[in-house]
Amino acid sequence: MAIITISRGSYSKGKEVAEKVAERLGYRCLSREVILEASDRYHIPEIKLIKAIHDAPSLLERLGRSRRSFIAYYQSALASAVREDNVVYHGLAGHLLLKGVPHVIKIRIIANLGERVKSEMKREGMGEKEARTLIIKDDEERRKWTQSLYGVDPWDSSLYDLIIHIYKFSVSDAVDFICQAAGMPQFKTTRENQQKIDDLALASQVKAALIEAFSDVAVLSEYGNVLIYTKSEDRLSQKQEEKARTLLKGIKGINNMEFHPGVPVSTNAV
Amino acid sequence: MSIIIISSDSYGIGRDMAKSTAEAMGYDFLGREILGRVAVKYEIPEERLIKALEEYPSFFGKSLKLWNRHLAYIQEAVMSDLLKDNLVCQGLAAHLYVLGVSHALRVHILSDAEESVRQLVSQEGISTEKARKRFNREKKHRRRWSMEAFNLDETDPSQYDLVISLSKIDPDEAVKLIGETISYRRFKPMTYSIKCIHDIELAARVRATLLERFPDVRVHASSGVVVVRTTALKREKKKRANIIREVAGGIPGVEYVEVHVINDFFRQSAESFR
Repeated sequence: MAIITISRGSYSKGKEVAEKVAERLGYRCLSREVILEASDRYHIPEIKLIKAIHDAPSLLERLGRSRRSFIAYYQSALASAVREDNVVYHGLAGHLLLKGVPHVIKIRIIANLGERVKSEMKREGMGEKEARTLIIKDDEERRKWTQSLYGVDPWDSSLYDLIIHIYKFSVSDAVDFICQAAGMPQFKTTRENQQKIDDLALASQVKAALIEAFSDVAVLSEYGNVLIYTKSEDRLSQKQEEKARTLLKGIKGINNMEFHPGVPVSTNAV
Repeated sequence: MSIIIISSDSYGIGRDMAKSTAEAMGYDFLGREILGRVAVKYEIPEERLIKALEEYPSFFGKSLKLWNRHLAYIQEAVMSDLLKDNLVCQGLAAHLYVLGVSHALRVHILSDAEESVRQLVSQEGISTEKARKRFNREKKHRRRWSMEAFNLDETDPSQYDLVISLSKIDPDEAVKLIGETISYRRFKPMTYSIKCIHDIELAARVRATLLERFPDVRVHASSGVVVVRTTALKREKKKRANIIREVAGGIPGVEYVEVHVINDFFRQSAESFR
């Protein structure tokens, strides 16, 4: 009846929370499956995709288009996967990639650095200093990644509906909170909400199909009417428009297509 | 027998939420009403105390020493009330100084940013862009205030047990969630958590007493043993330590006073150039 995204740092017990929420609600639990789907659908080696969506981009990579393409593929795979509803997703940036969908509950699980360091030491058999450095580096990578792609800080509380600190609260408490939130009427899947996620999945799929040819493309779908934005006016001349139409030929669900070169991009576009 | 500390990015919303929670739980509400009592005790206008909770010292504005004193007086009064239990505390920055107390649930309520911007537009008659800028400026201001006052970032979610955003979650649902959470066994006072809150209260009381004479004083208390840290010139060290021992020793609840006086390097250097 809802889509739950759980954002977490490494060793924050977010994975455990996600799995238990999924088990209690009888939902599907997704994380790595999305990478596999994207890798399979767009024929990209899994390792390349993981690197692109996990590590912070270098200066050269920020200018290059491959990373943006990988994110578009990943978003397309994710939006398609959650379309069927009743899902707990605990992978990367779900709260940002599934924007504009009202019945998505955005949760963040945080834990004390000391506890995270202990878990890392236990699991990897390393010293405290090394474990601390690794966790801080990992957090920093994620911060840079989100900032470079979305211009927001993943630690910004306003990105989430609920932030649960695993310290005084146990994993089981966090599961209770999330299940309670999932039962709230505003997170129920209505016909209108389902349409929004369908549109997001379609827009993401269109973007993934076009991104190699048009690196600055942004796409919005409203009831299957697809609006395609590009920054530069001359990019989509008649010839380019034809090329885009050819690229989108196999995609189901498009009722109508409009091209808007040089027009300010709608805030809801992906 | 627990304490709920509610903070929010919007004072009004935080207050409404805290009052509703107190009503739903049958707890007492501890808000800025206590400032009147502090104002009478220390003969300070109440408005100055409110200002201390909202503004930080600037070059041309409020003095740092006075600001610290006002905050210490507020802290002393809040801590004395928090010993009573079954309270919902809001608007007094308690989330920044009630630390390490297991029976205190610290909740941060985030207002619906878009709704706040819309309200600013209709109330002030300004553009959406300007309203959004003002909203973000206020957020930065609160962050800086908390850093200056307690060296903690109140926008950092790890300062809280629970952060609830009202952009999708209804205030009534949030109250229900807080109410259910506080009923958990781990929020019941235990011997150790009661000791912790008594220690914080004692330290706050000693600091409030000493601050007027020793503005840089830092106090830590544990089971009646009070550790005071301050700075002084080399020649004043002994005298200062004795005064602190005498003053702090006379405060009810203090059993032993340990004073650490560090050399005031800046004053020492300034004096050597005279």
